[in-house]
Formats: sequence, C-alpha cells, structure tokens
Amino acid sequence: MYVARVGARPMGAAFISGMHLSATLAEPAHFSRLEIALLLVGMVVSTALFFWRFGPILRIIFRSRKDTDFSLHPVGKRVWDFFAEVLCQAKVIRQRPLPGLAHAFVFWGFLAFVLVTLNHIATPLGLSFLHPSSYAGRFYFIFAALWALLVAVAIAGLFVRRFLARPIWLGEKVSYESGVIALLIFLLMVSYLAAFFVAPDGAGIRAVWWTHTLTLLVFLPLIPHTKHLHLVLSPVTVFLKRNGFSKIPPLSGDEDFGLVTGRDVTQLISLQAYSCVECGRCTEHCPASNTGKVLNPKEIILGTRSYLNEFGPASETPLLTDTKIDSPDNPAAKYMSMEAAFECTTCGSCEFQCPVGIQHLPIIIGLRRGATNTGTWEDPHGTKLFLALEKNGNALGLSATERDKFIQKQGLPIFDGTQEYCLWLGCMGGYDPKGREIIADFARVMQHLGTTFGVLKKEKCTGDPARRLGNDLAFQSMAEFGLKALETAKVQKIVAICPHCVRTISNDWREYGVAPEIEHHSEFMARHKSLLPQQSSGESIVYHDPCYLGRYREVYEQPREIVSMAGDLVEAPRSHERSFCCGAGGGLAFLGEENGERVSHVRAAELAGTGAQIVGTACPFCNTMFRDTLSAMDGAPPQLLDIAQLTARALPQTQKAGEQ
Amino acid sequence: MKILVAIKQVPERDAQISIAGDGRWIDESDLNYTINEPDAYALEEALQLKDKNGGEVVVLCAGPERVTSTLREALAKGADRAIHIEADDLGHRDTLGLAQVLAEAIKDESPDLILTGLQSDDLGLGQTGVVLAEILGMPHATIIMQVEVTGAGLKVKRELEDGWFQHVEMPLPALLTIQSGGNKLRYATLMGIKKAKTKEMKTVQAAAPAAGQTITLERVYLPEKQKKTEMLTGTPAEIAAKLVEKLKFEVRVI
Repeated sequence: MYVARVGARPMGAAFISGMHLSATLAEPAHFSRLEIALLLVGMVVSTALFFWRFGPILRIIFRSRKDTDFSLHPVGKRVWDFFAEVLCQAKVIRQRPLPGLAHAFVFWGFLAFVLVTLNHIATPLGLSFLHPSSYAGRFYFIFAALWALLVAVAIAGLFVRRFLARPIWLGEKVSYESGVIALLIFLLMVSYLAAFFVAPDGAGIRAVWWTHTLTLLVFLPLIPHTKHLHLVLSPVTVFLKRNGFSKIPPLSGDEDFGLVTGRDVTQLISLQAYSCVECGRCTEHCPASNTGKVLNPKEIILGTRSYLNEFGPASETPLLTDTKIDSPDNPAAKYMSMEAAFECTTCGSCEFQCPVGIQHLPIIIGLRRGATNTGTWEDPHGTKLFLALEKNGNALGLSATERDKFIQKQGLPIFDGTQEYCLWLGCMGGYDPKGREIIADFARVMQHLGTTFGVLKKEKCTGDPARRLGNDLAFQSMAEFGLKALETAKVQKIVAICPHCVRTISNDWREYGVAPEIEHHSEFMARHKSLLPQQSSGESIVYHDPCYLGRYREVYEQPREIVSMAGDLVEAPRSHERSFCCGAGGGLAFLGEENGERVSHVRAAELAGTGAQIVGTACPFCNTMFRDTLSAMDGAPPQLLDIAQLTARALPQTQKAGEQ
Repeated sequence: MKILVAIKQVPERDAQISIAGDGRWIDESDLNYTINEPDAYALEEALQLKDKNGGEVVVLCAGPERVTSTLREALAKGADRAIHIEADDLGHRDTLGLAQVLAEAIKDESPDLILTGLQSDDLGLGQTGVVLAEILGMPHATIIMQVEVTGAGLKVKRELEDGWFQHVEMPLPALLTIQSGGNKLRYATLMGIKKAKTKEMKTVQAAAPAAGQTITLERVYLPEKQKKTEMLTGTPAEIAAKLVEKLKFEVRVI
C-alpha cells in the first residue's frame, strides 16, 4: 500500500545539450515507510501550527458582535464582485497596474497550484489523481509550470519592489516576514520546476520533492501570523462586505451608540481588520495622510486589529483615546486616537481603493459615532455646528429667515405640488453667497428648459455633517424633518446642486423613511443637454470630481458633458475615482484649522497647475474650499465656476431669475 | 449640592409670530418652541457645577404639555430630575403669580442653589428669579457670568454696564439669574436622550391664579418696523471706529 504506484517512467524524455529535460515532471518512484511517517507528522504539525495561530483569530471574529443589519441579498452582486475583485483581480490591477499584475500572476498561479499541491501530498499516500504519464497529467503539469515561471518572476519583482524600491505606502518598517514568504513562494516554484529537470530515479528527485514538501509545510503556519492571512480571509471578506459604498449600519437597540469599546466591534469589522494586507493603498490616496495629519486609514484598520488582539471583542476598554486629555489612562491609547478619527474628510478613497474588501468609512464614522453620541468628543467647532443644527436647522447657524429673504429676493417659486421638481437648496444654496449664485444660475437653466420647479417653504439641513461626524440624534431629527416636509408638500422629484444633499437624502435617510427620487443638477443638465446652448467659449476648464458625486454616486461623465459644452475639458492629474478631496467633507468644512497643510491648498494647486483658465466644480462645498485658496494665489489664478454657472453663461441674458 | 434650574419654554427665534384673535396673546398654533436662551446657560452652569462639586440638578418648568419636550432635553443634557408644573394660562399670569407657582412646586425640595436665566426671550421682564428669591427668602444676584463654590458660600461675577464687572461673595442657599454666553453650551447626545427616558419627571398642577393680579396684560402687538439710515462721517479710521461701536452696542452683532 505504501508504494502506491510505480513512479512515472521517463516517457518522452529528451536530452537537450546533455541536460535531462522531461516533458512531464518527475516524482520519486518509491516512498519509504519512514518518509511517509515523516510526511504525515509534518502535515499534522504544520496544520496544528496553522490552527494554533488561526484559531484565536477565528474565535475573535466569531465572538464579535453580530452585524444586525447584515443580509446576503443581493447575492448576484456579491458573486460578481467576487468574480471581478478576487478571481479577476480587477481592482488590484486597475489601481496599481504593475505590482497589481505581479500580484495577479502570483494569485492565479496559486489557483493553478491547488491541484498540483493536493496531488503532491497525495502521491506518497497512494491517493494521487494526476499522473505525470497520463495525457491530462502531462498537460496540467506543463500548464502549472508556465504559471510557476510567471509566479517566480512576479514574486521576485514584488520582492525587489518591497525591499529595494521600498514605496513609502508599504510602511516605514521593512517586513522581514514578507521577505521570508516571498522566498518560500520562490522556492516552491523553483522546486516544482526543478522536477522537470531531474531523473525520476535517484537522489535528485527525492531532494527536489522534499524541498517542495518542506517549503509547503513551513509556509502554512506562517499564513495566520502575517499579513498573508489575507490569502485565507480576503476572498471571504470581499464576498461578505457591506452592500453599498460608505454604508453606515443603523444603531441597534438602546445600548448601541457606535464604536465605543471592543463590545461594539462587529463580526464584519473584525473580519475586515484581520484581512488587511497592509498594502497602504488607503494611505496613499488619503487626503489627511497626504497633508501631514495624524490620520492614517491603514493604522485605523491595524489599530482595530491590535486592539482585538490585546483586549478582545468583549473588552470595555475605549477604542478611541483623546490624546489631548486622557492619553495615559487608556491602555488602548497606542492604537487609535480621537484626533485621527476626526480628521477624516470621508472622501472614501481608502474604501474605494481597498483590494481586500475593507470598508473604512463605517469604521471611522462608527468610531466618531461612539465619541459623539456619548458626548465624549469635545470640540468647540463641532459643538457649535451641532447647536446650530439643533437651533437653526442649518449648518451655517444663520436664522431661517435669511433663507426666506433669499427666496423672496430671487423670486424663486414655492413648491405647491403643481411643479415637476422640488429644487432642494441645501445649506449652501440657501445661506452661502456663492451657493446662492449657483442656485440662481441653475434656476435660470431650468427656466430656459421650461422645467417647472419650486422650493420648499421650510427646509432644514439634510443632516450630512451630523451624520458624518457621528451625531445620530441631530441626523435623525434632520432626516425626519426633511422626510415629513417633502411628504407634506407631495414632492415627487428633487434636484439639488449639492452632492452631499443628494447622497444623504437618497441613501442615508433610508434609515428613517423613503425620500422622493433625487438627482444632482449635473445629471439633470446632462439629460437635457440637447436643449442647452452649445456655445463653447474655447476656454480650458479643469473639472474637479467631488467625492460625493464621483466615488459615492459614480457620476463621472455627466458633469464632464456639461463642461465640454462650455469649453475645452482638461483633466487633473488625479481625476474620476482617484480624485483628491477638497477637504470639506465629513463635516470638516465646519471644524477648525487643520493640522499640517490644508487639503484644499494641495488640491487647488493641483487644479491650477493644469494651466486651465477655469476650475469647474459640481459641489458648493468644493467651491467654497477652492474660493479662498485660489484668490490667495499669486499671478492670475483660474476662475472658479460651478457647472450650472458654466451653462448659464451661455443663456440669453434676458432670463435672469429674480429680474422678471 | 442640590441645584434647581427654573426653565422657560419660548417660541423659536426664527418663528413668524402672529397675534391671537383676542389681541391679548400670540397665536400659539403652528409655532415651534425651544428653551429660553439664558435658561440654557443657567442649565449649563448647573451641570458644570455638578461636574465639579457633585450633587443633583433638578429642572423645573411651568407650562402646557409641550414644555415636557424642553424638560426632556434638559434631562438629556445631564439634569437628574424634572418637575413639570402644568399650567395652560401662563400668558395671563403676572410675574408674582408665576413665582408663587414655582415656589409652591419646590417647597419640599430645599435646594442649595436656584438658577434661572436672567430674562426670557419672549417677555423679557427679568423678574421671575428675583421675585422667587424674595418669596423664598433667599439672597439673590442677577446677570451672573461666573459662579464659584467656596466652602459654604459662593463667589459670583456680575455683568454691569459698559464692560464693568462686579465680584460678589454670598452665602448659600441663594438664587442667581444667569447671563447668556458665560459658558459654552453642550450639544444633545443620543446617549443623553436614551438616559433621559429613565429619569424621573414629576408633574404637579399649578394652583389657580389668585384673584387681583398686580399686573394685567392689556394688549400685545408686533413691533412696528422702521428703517433708519445713518451716515457716518469722518476719516476712514474714525468711521471704522464708530461702526464698530455701533455694531457692538447698538446692533449688538459683534
């Protein structure tokens, strides 16, 4: 029994320049009892070591709080994401082409090697299913050999990148474990390929076979201990991730205030934290990390993991520490700081970029919820914002009568149920001077198109800044007010100039009711493009993708169509889904001065650096952030116009709203 | 230390006020109500004193059913108990009558300190606290910016005219009427609202108003709007200085 099969004959063997190259791989013809015993012991030890390390991680994940809102539905999308992101490695390759492709080769090679490896271990036990002499076996072993070549080259390339090129995103410290893993993978491939070059009888094949086997046995227990745990977890993580971008789960029960302690960390968060492969794509694209702030999204994920490792999912130790007040008291202070959590602009680059399905925003916003809902977050600007929302119902803290005056002055009709659209003003459109200009121009565009519209008599903030800063109480009251106001007015369709309003109404409000259909004015204008004046001024216009329109809503082309009508579209170095934030999101427009460089300065300089004559925006918050920065620039800074203003410029002058 | 905070609920600042049919009060339908601003600062002062010195904060509010929302908010911000004095006719009670109602409702409480806002945003009489102190036989101080507990007594900072302040030491128990802006207000939190649900809210009935009130309300009316334009003259520096003064002391926006 122990000599399962008389090893393959050197069928089709050929001698090229004196070297023995076989058209199939060689296997030892015979395994002694001792060898089989050694293999079995090795397998048991290796597997035991694997579970010795992986078991506690699984326990932490399973003992974390259940995600009460989790649903597998829609499965189709999950299967598709799994196919695209895991099997095709689409995101890995698209967002970092060269290393991404190298990684994809290693991954696909691993898949090709599943059968090879199983067969390799099965052979001495007499259970082999791929015979080197059979046609199927010969075909498959050569197929795998091609992959082995690709994997060997790719892993060598990745090794060079990590240890010689050393991009800063991989972290300051060199991970020696990664080097060991790379060497093991290289050794696996080389020892596989070597079997094509040795004779099936003799010491050579035995050495090759055992090298391959031992490498496998060493590799397995290293997985759970290192970031290579993503081999096991990330396919599951990608399949199970929350359905929707920046999806903030509803709070469950009276004791849930967000992520306060380990007890609030959910299974999905644990799973995601342990899946992190530490590639640093999140950090590479993070506006906070790029401008000298404390926040590093990768460290938030690794901080969560370290917290779970040290304290576990049942711990009452706070997750966040206010480094300004109580750093020495909290043993978890070394992991995550409140300062970092509140530096996030919620631009979503991290979540968009993550190749292993980690969803940073529910975690960062969850941490903020934990701090704000319990009143632990004490920030004078934040408090002022929340009080303004409580008292005035708008984020700017102005009297609601200011909005009434603007509506009256501008001659905007009040929505009475007869009009097609409700024009949602938002805080910026209703109270901010520049936002009001955008509204006035967009109203002219709608009038030109003959579209009937009206504005709500009373409107409060959608609650977006409260939502992103983790104030569920203020958010709920805003959402409920808005839903009721729209329902009472019998609104069917809404159009808004602010992507934050659009996102919050269409998505975040769902927790409290169903809002009417809403679209952004870029979508509205692009649909009516043929009826709008096609008069290009010939000026060059660089378009800035707002985070909440692009990554959040996947609207990239409509605003570009509008811009192209008004002038010559220029692309910024970072555009579309890689657009760099203006710094206003996540409620940060209302908070105090930033640490380090201002995000808006970096982005405005990048936009101005394209040499375009005009910066085209599609969000009143981006607009306000760039306004100050551009006006402070030396020389002749580009003009700053919203897409509604770009369109309105070409309209006949007689149709000025408010002058009728 | 037991601190009692007397709160009033008033129409929101942005509210479009109209006069009721009988011309003797405002039309209360379709109005949104909120905490009287100086009372919010009185509550904040009480909560900060409790944070520093320990003790209990009890909030007190007279009015119809709707005032319980303001009491709930006060509980959410950190008050321990609430007393709701049910009365639907506050507009027709004079200050003395109201102060008597408040005094009656707290006769078993024996607080160390009573705080109120210095005046209400709607009527602006500024007397309720003072009259209440008189009825209870307590010393009082008005327009208070800062409070410090010193052993058995208090050290308070009063705001006087023209940027002057007065520092007063006084014994306990005492009543203070609090000026707006002395502290930073806290925001309401979800946790606070949830906790507030389990806190005690006692409802007592206000006694019928005594016959022969000292003050009777004859008529309420909206202020007649007038637009006044004044040209400032002088050098730019002088104009700027005058403008700043007017913005500070006449328009009171900076």
